Amino acid sequence: MNPVKDAHIKPLPTPDGDSEAYWQGLKRGQILLQHCLDCGHLQVYQESICRTCTSERLEHRAASGRGKIHSFSVVYRAPGPAFKNDTPYAVILVELEEGVRMISSMVECPVEDVAFDMPVELVCDPVAEDVVLPRFRPRR
Amino acid sequence: MTTQTKPAARGIRGKTAIIGAGISEVGRVPGRSAMALAAQAALRAMADAGISRDEIDGVLSSVAFAAPFHRFSVAISEYLGIQPKFSNTLQVSGATAATMFNIAAAAIAGGLAETVLIVGGDSLLSGLTPDLALRSMTESRDQQYEMPFGIPVSNTFAMTAHRHMKEFGTTAEQFAQVAVIHREHARRTPNAQMTQPITVEDVLNSGWVATPYHKLDCSLISDGGGAFIVTSAERAKSLGIERPVYILGGGEFYTHEHIFLMPSLTTTGAVQSSAAAYAMAGYGPGDMDVAGVYDCFTGTVIMMLEDLGFCPKGEGGRFVEDGQITYGGAIPCNTHGGLLSFAHSGMPGSLFHFYEVVNQLRGLCGPRQVPDAALGLVHSLGAGFATNATTILGTEATL
Ligand SMILES: [Zn+2]
Repeated sequence: MNPVKDAHIKPLPTPDGDSEAYWQGLKRGQILLQHCLDCGHLQVYQESICRTCTSERLEHRAASGRGKIHSFSVVYRAPGPAFKNDTPYAVILVELEEGVRMISSMVECPVEDVAFDMPVELVCDPVAEDVVLPRFRPRR
Repeated sequence: MTTQTKPAARGIRGKTAIIGAGISEVGRVPGRSAMALAAQAALRAMADAGISRDEIDGVLSSVAFAAPFHRFSVAISEYLGIQPKFSNTLQVSGATAATMFNIAAAAIAGGLAETVLIVGGDSLLSGLTPDLALRSMTESRDQQYEMPFGIPVSNTFAMTAHRHMKEFGTTAEQFAQVAVIHREHARRTPNAQMTQPITVEDVLNSGWVATPYHKLDCSLISDGGGAFIVTSAERAKSLGIERPVYILGGGEFYTHEHIFLMPSLTTTGAVQSSAAAYAMAGYGPGDMDVAGVYDCFTGTVIMMLEDLGFCPKGEGGRFVEDGQITYGGAIPCNTHGGLLSFAHSGMPGSLFHFYEVVNQLRGLCGPRQVPDAALGLVHSLGAGFATNATTILGTEATL
């Protein structure tokens, strides 16, 4: 943690051995879920094992990219200077059709229109040369 | 729930007692480092117990943002001139405070130490500035799956509270009422950071931080430290301590790390942590006379009232509205003013809840005293309800 250095730069994910394929998938426009071949559990948070049965037999399959808003919070006070110019923006907890949840933020939608259970769809947002973030917009 | 039967022996029940409590100057305290605040609290706790440094053989601490020692407990021992034979620096975010009491009791009962100093201090306001403090806390979130989306420290708590509104019809006015009650409590507490009276309207008009929370729904950013001396029940007796406060039960529970993997946004690990503490103590929520409930945000208190068993699920808002968390109500909570109005110096923030509940059980709270308080609960939590820890305390009569 260094609270002073790079405070104006938005934090970007640094993929690791668990998550490399996930971040590569987003560059191709897909959210890759890990499907457990032994128990059928699905996970978006990438691990070397299945969180339900500890099996290592996991297979990546693309999610539909559709979901709905389980909860949300519109940020008016940014967590540091990097996000100051974006306020207000809606951080959302999306529940994908496949049943798993993920954190994201809303695009192409005024913050006052964001609502519980709102149907949303994936927007792949190239935020840096080699990084695509999964964001969501109202489903069309 | 009514009083349950007391078993002969349950875990750490009654094996240790808090014999000294101290807090530093709190609020805005320029010119004192996090270490200095922790040390000031520690020396006051020792003076309160009437013991000297060489009688302390264990030291437990939280971490400090403004004094980022990896081994804060070791660093503060050195600072105080103590060489303990048992020490650890605990880090489960806001839940750390209660875990320190539970672990101190277990360490003493297990023979690792006889007299443990529990200590924490930080300088979030003067040592870091509010912006840096909030940023430091935000950086505890996941670097790949959460932080890139600009989630502030309030986010996990805001989204859980928001969902509580959706599922149970909890209102912004009920959240605001929590802030109003805490401010009212703080007005009777010496050195509280915020003592200007506020109304529900004031809270609702205080501007958004992150929906559904306004500025006055959020806890403070403060400087300050707290410290306690815990020892074996036998040693407390041989020292002739006048009003020892016994550790009757402790429990923890960890349901998730990431907010998107929280099993339910509206029911937390406080259910399990408090159930374990109640079972060990042999008392239920209905037996508690006073409580310290982690209040990083107003909605947090409402959710905890439910999960700690003080009211049924979904009725926390109404429970607050009905005056149940202040004097004359079912369970006076945070009679010092809590993190919302007394002070919130990060990890040590929940130590102030302990300081208040301990003093309530010793009958030392003057104009804030809950009459005949004999049993108290403190619940600490953190990281968007990822961490939960409960401690139940009681007077000699409750053993
Ligand atoms: Zn599996």
